[in-house]
Amino acid sequence: MIRAQNITLVRNNKKILEDVGFDVKKGEFVAIIGPNGAGKTTLVKIVIGLLKPTDGTIKINGVEPEEFIKKRNGVIGYLPQKAIVNWSMPLKVLDVVLIEKLSPFSFFRKYSKEDVERAEYWLEVFGIKNRVNAYIRDLSGGEQQRVSLARCMFNEPEILVLDEPNTAVDAVYNVKIYETLRKLCDNRDITVIMVTHDIGAVTMYVDKVMCLNIKLHCHSSPSAINYSEMLKRVYGNNINIVIHGEKCNNCIFGVRDDRNTH
Amino acid sequence: MGKSVITAFLVLEMTEILINATLIGILIAIPLSFLSYFVVMRKMTFAGVGIAHASFGGIALGFLLGCESFIFPLVFCVVSSLFIGFLYKKGGFSEDSVIDVVFVFSMAFGIFILSLSNGYSGNVLGLLFGDILSVNKDYIVPVIGIFLLSMFFISYFFSHLNLITYNEDLARINGVRVDLLYYFFWIVLSVLIVFSIRLIGIVLVNAFLVLPTLVGLNVSKNFKGVIGVGILSSIISVAGGVILSYYVNTPTGATIVLLFFAFWILSFIFKI
Ligand SMILES: Nc1ncnc2c1ncn2[C@@H]1O[C@H](COP(=O)(O)OP(=O)(O)OP(=O)(O)O)[C@@H](O)[C@H]1O
Ligand SMILES: [Mg+2]
Repeated sequence: MIRAQNITLVRNNKKILEDVGFDVKKGEFVAIIGPNGAGKTTLVKIVIGLLKPTDGTIKINGVEPEEFIKKRNGVIGYLPQKAIVNWSMPLKVLDVVLIEKLSPFSFFRKYSKEDVERAEYWLEVFGIKNRVNAYIRDLSGGEQQRVSLARCMFNEPEILVLDEPNTAVDAVYNVKIYETLRKLCDNRDITVIMVTHDIGAVTMYVDKVMCLNIKLHCHSSPSAINYSEMLKRVYGNNINIVIHGEKCNNCIFGVRDDRNTH
Repeated sequence: MGKSVITAFLVLEMTEILINATLIGILIAIPLSFLSYFVVMRKMTFAGVGIAHASFGGIALGFLLGCESFIFPLVFCVVSSLFIGFLYKKGGFSEDSVIDVVFVFSMAFGIFILSLSNGYSGNVLGLLFGDILSVNKDYIVPVIGIFLLSMFFISYFFSHLNLITYNEDLARINGVRVDLLYYFFWIVLSVLIVFSIRLIGIVLVNAFLVLPTLVGLNVSKNFKGVIGVGILSSIISVAGGVILSYYVNTPTGATIVLLFFAFWILSFIFKI
């Protein structure tokens, strides 16, 4: 469904992405991991057409992303990195879930009953329906993320692109989010691309892990990855990995950062 | 007998001026309250200062060329607002300092031009702080047109502008022509600012870009409430300010803004 070939992005003579290529099939759940500044956000923005690569091509169903989004409103659900969303606006949770419903003269109209019900359904899925009339700035960080997930799903997208949906979400709810996303892939054939720093639990739910640090270091199913070697490659050598077994995918592993402790 | 007829005539004329000024003020304040919501939410309020002051250069140039039409300030404001908007978009450096440059340039340019034209006979104080007598009758037709056009733009694109304000990237992937809408927004804003200058004055126009939303935010938590309260408070400030300034003989713009400020203080009390 999504095919990226030789993607390179240069900014200020610096390579932010270099020769990145991958395939994502319909209904697949893919995680992108990598350290801060690895280019994860940049890569997903290229995938949905918000940025143009300096080199290389990106195709969704055989067409450019700009073309693909014209198919219908909300065909791609996108959850931007939390910090760049304006959470201080005087909006209710319901207003945010419906914010991508663009219609002329909406200011003078009420939401339709069907829209409210659909919004409440998705809020229910992400366990936050009880806050439907709360104001977004009064929510906790984790609650805001779950509202965003409901917003992404409101237009029933074919592709879901999530940039760190689990920032500020607690460990228990994290797992619930992964389970929900897994179900969306399996039952509704939605393709999910998720950027995350949670390199532990995520491997239990996804079909593929992409390890990015400017270059794509690996791109395979979680069980086929040699974690200790891969993490060393992506996160650098001065990292100490505590891992239970070399090729385990169902275990939590700790990463101790030795960068500042010489 | 003759004297009282003249008095009656003067009273009639004054009432007409008052009604005209109030009407014009309200017709401009309503769309500005809507735009205020977006401007405050995107933290771009200082841009209004730059745009308003840019008109001074235009007014001065018009005076030099012996043509006191609103075309000159309009062109100056639109060009500088597009320039400021472009710089906001581009980012990478402090926008506020660039707005300062636009602001200082047009004031300096205006004064420079005025001094070339052998002394400006007009009312500089009125220009800066608003003068009800400069709001003449032939203003009303263009202002009604501007009110209708800007209200159409705002209400047609409200959900688009709201989404852009929430997150620009989301608007883009929903097919919104963000850049086009953004520049249209600046054009509408500068047209409204130009037509409010005679009443409110260059220095004080920004009150209408900031205070409606600040008052609204103190009173309501919902965007419709915020905008509604903003509109209401600006209508009352305009009407009250015009009438008060006439009876107390004070600059209209200053009186309106003082009333508006009082509203803001009151709204704080309401909040507590
Ligand atoms: N607009 C920009 N102009 C110049 N450089 C940029 C721009 N946006 C991002 N970069 C650079 O690109 C690199 C990758 O940024 P990106 O945001 O994609 O990283 P990331 O992997 O998402 O990091 P994080 O985990 O912190 O979210 C960084 O070094 C950043 O400085
Ligand atoms: Mg990022």
